[in-house]
Amino acid sequence: MSVTEPLSPTTGEPVSVVASRNRLGVWFIIISCTTGSLSLLISYSYLWSLNVNSAWAPPNNAWATLWPFWAIFVGEILAGLAMRWGWKGMEKGDRGRMLAGSLISSLLLIAAFVGQVAQIMTFPFGPSDGAYASVTFWFALSNAGWVLLSSFLAFGIFNRTLAGKITATNASHAGLVAMWLVWLAGVAFIGAICTTTMQESPNTNSPDFGNFQEP
Amino acid sequence: MTTATVTVTIHEAPDVIQPRQHGKPGGLLRYCNFVTALILGIVLAALAYWITGMFTTGEALNANFVPIGINVQITAMYVGWVVGFMIGIGAFVGPIRWFLGRDLTHADAEYLAGRGQGRMKFWKYTTDHKIVGIQYLIVSMALLGFGGLLAMLIRTELGVTWAELFNPNFYNSIIGTHGIVMIIAMIVVVSGPLGNFIVPIMVGARDMAFPRLNALSIWLLVAAIPPLASNLALGGLRDGWTVYQPLADQAPVGMIGYQITIITFGFSTAIASVNLMTTIVKMRAKGMTWSRVPIFVYGIFASSLMGLIWFPMYQYSQWFALSDRVINTSFYVPAQGGSVWLYENLFWLLGHPEVYVIVLPGVAALLELMVVFLRKPLFSYKFAVAGIFGIVGLSAVVWVHHMYMTGWAPSSNYPFMLSTEMISIPISFLVLVMLGTMWRARPWTRLPMMAVYAVVWNKVIGGITGVFLSDVPVDQYMHGSMFVVAHFHYMLMGAGLFSAMAAIAYWFPKMTGRYLDNRWGSIGFWVAFGGFQLTFLSMFAAGLQGMPRRVLQFDSLFNVSNWISTIGAYIIGIGMLIFLAAVINSWRSGEIAPANPYGAKTLEAQVPTPVPPENFAVLPVITSDPYGYGSPDPYELEDEARRAALEGGEPAKVGAS
Repeated sequence: MSVTEPLSPTTGEPVSVVASRNRLGVWFIIISCTTGSLSLLISYSYLWSLNVNSAWAPPNNAWATLWPFWAIFVGEILAGLAMRWGWKGMEKGDRGRMLAGSLISSLLLIAAFVGQVAQIMTFPFGPSDGAYASVTFWFALSNAGWVLLSSFLAFGIFNRTLAGKITATNASHAGLVAMWLVWLAGVAFIGAICTTTMQESPNTNSPDFGNFQEP
Repeated sequence: MTTATVTVTIHEAPDVIQPRQHGKPGGLLRYCNFVTALILGIVLAALAYWITGMFTTGEALNANFVPIGINVQITAMYVGWVVGFMIGIGAFVGPIRWFLGRDLTHADAEYLAGRGQGRMKFWKYTTDHKIVGIQYLIVSMALLGFGGLLAMLIRTELGVTWAELFNPNFYNSIIGTHGIVMIIAMIVVVSGPLGNFIVPIMVGARDMAFPRLNALSIWLLVAAIPPLASNLALGGLRDGWTVYQPLADQAPVGMIGYQITIITFGFSTAIASVNLMTTIVKMRAKGMTWSRVPIFVYGIFASSLMGLIWFPMYQYSQWFALSDRVINTSFYVPAQGGSVWLYENLFWLLGHPEVYVIVLPGVAALLELMVVFLRKPLFSYKFAVAGIFGIVGLSAVVWVHHMYMTGWAPSSNYPFMLSTEMISIPISFLVLVMLGTMWRARPWTRLPMMAVYAVVWNKVIGGITGVFLSDVPVDQYMHGSMFVVAHFHYMLMGAGLFSAMAAIAYWFPKMTGRYLDNRWGSIGFWVAFGGFQLTFLSMFAAGLQGMPRRVLQFDSLFNVSNWISTIGAYIIGIGMLIFLAAVINSWRSGEIAPANPYGAKTLEAQVPTPVPPENFAVLPVITSDPYGYGSPDPYELEDEARRAALEGGEPAKVGAS
């Protein structure tokens, strides 16, 4: 423990102790969110492999354009890197770097959010157009939710740096957000990989339940 | 557990540089309480319902021919309720303050912890883990009361074999609501009150790792309850607590209440799990190595870990079900490429580990308390820890045994039969540790200890019948019968609820400062236990005779067993009411208990009662394990004397000190 290390105003503990606790908490949250996202991955791969009622593919095989998934992923990666760059700078006492890093990160995340919403609005299918459409909608919707939350966090770090709450001796919150952004990019990567590599179902002999009519 | 000298002292506010105090301590939270939450919740729910009503029409149907418009409105109403309630209780104040850089001062933290607020602190967004523990206790008892009342209605319907009291839809709704209410209640009944109140003290911490998340978890739970309860007025929950697809998709809008509840409760569980686990890993007292951690803490940790990993699967299963209803996706609609088996897999990925989420904390509590009443070290502590984590590991690979008869991947049935039977091994570890600890002990017969015997009995019956059901050939016959219902009640109620009663009785003096009336508490407990045997042993018989579950009309062949079960259920009800009366009466005017009423060696027994705001005046340092009772064990000395006598030919000296 550094001699000049500040103490938490609420508990009186050194801030490094609180930071270590927070880091573990964020890890646990990431584990929980990962298993949630795993549900989406299971759903995608399961329905893709089954091709129930030959209704995996959207009408006219109008698959989603792939580059937006990757563009959003790259945006999130860059946002994470910017936050990390700022955080590392702050640890060396460079407040300007923290301000720049968190601001760039926030703007990238807002851009990713806008891009994600734009992608959802321009999908060549609706959520009811088969299983692929449903799961892809959910990938995009959940990513939009995560990005929105993350931009709140990133902008919060910028705001807190401005307010003098993020300092060289107490920069752990920025580190935690950088860590969270790595997870965010990981989830976007999984979505991008799924939609890129698993389009046409391998099951060409799927069970056929026919078409249903309103009773 | 021996504690040694002080190494860390409390940092009082004046020692620490404080951020600027904005207004009075507590800020906006001074104006937030249960009433404001209720008002804002209702207002936002009504607003959301009204506004969405302007933009939706009643004509469009989803893939299961259910009108989308009303689904959207009801969903918006429930979301409005949850968001409004959480705004009203003050849950969003913390994140906004963080965003604005207005960090809490020591005075703010003191206000949030409920200092100087009298009983009002129980109705607010209070962060003190002891207050949250009491809040969890009240909420879980209310849930158990509601679920128990529904159980009485079910048994009344089944017992009155000469008449039909409810229509089938309402009867099925009662069944489904009873199931999920009890599941939620049982998940929180030990981990909530005792995990929050006792565990931080037991590990030597001043509070939970994240006090504000602690308050968030309990109030999310409170917000989650009304949508579930309201389903009975909105067409009901007719598909059992599992709400299988496509029935759930075609069900009345009451189903949305279930879905919103599970999604909200999922957040509450995840937050509570993160908090408990971080507290246990990071805030243990100096010297409390993993081999000195009380076994109850391991039980809570394991339960939290399973909840953290598996609950999101269940939560997502409900997200998808809700989106099938509201935005017409097709996760579970086969005509549009979905699969109902996807639902069943996602559901049971939590659905089975949840049994251990419920049972482990209770059983670990019994292991913790029995050493106190037997004055013996825990028999094979490491074996118990191995059992707990063996259950955690194997719980991940048993879910398919709920799906043997669904036709999903029949070739996987036998591997899952094997894994399910294997999980009985670590479960047996825990029973053996109990029996080993009891071996040749002289029990101090107080209610918590007597409950251990009751739970061992229930657990053995529940466990053995579970092994039968895990066998694919037997399950083909028993599946969907009352035998299954009796089996899982033996596990969830017989092992889970009776353990919880014992645990609450044991830590009652620490939580309230008063003894739980041993006489009336015991009478209530044993009456409920007797009624329980009557109800569910008879239900096994009905199941073996072939009575299906979830029916309200049945052949007269099953009349006798149903009459007995119903009489038993009423006896359970009477027992529970006696127990509840003992709890309330003891809380109000019971005998004042000393700080360590049973002479336990764990840390929570070493702090004064009522527990001071910061738990410990000085943080303890641990120098031994928590089970140093009767060491050396007099029986071991006796055995040694006998052995020495046999080897050396000298007369044995028995009855060593």
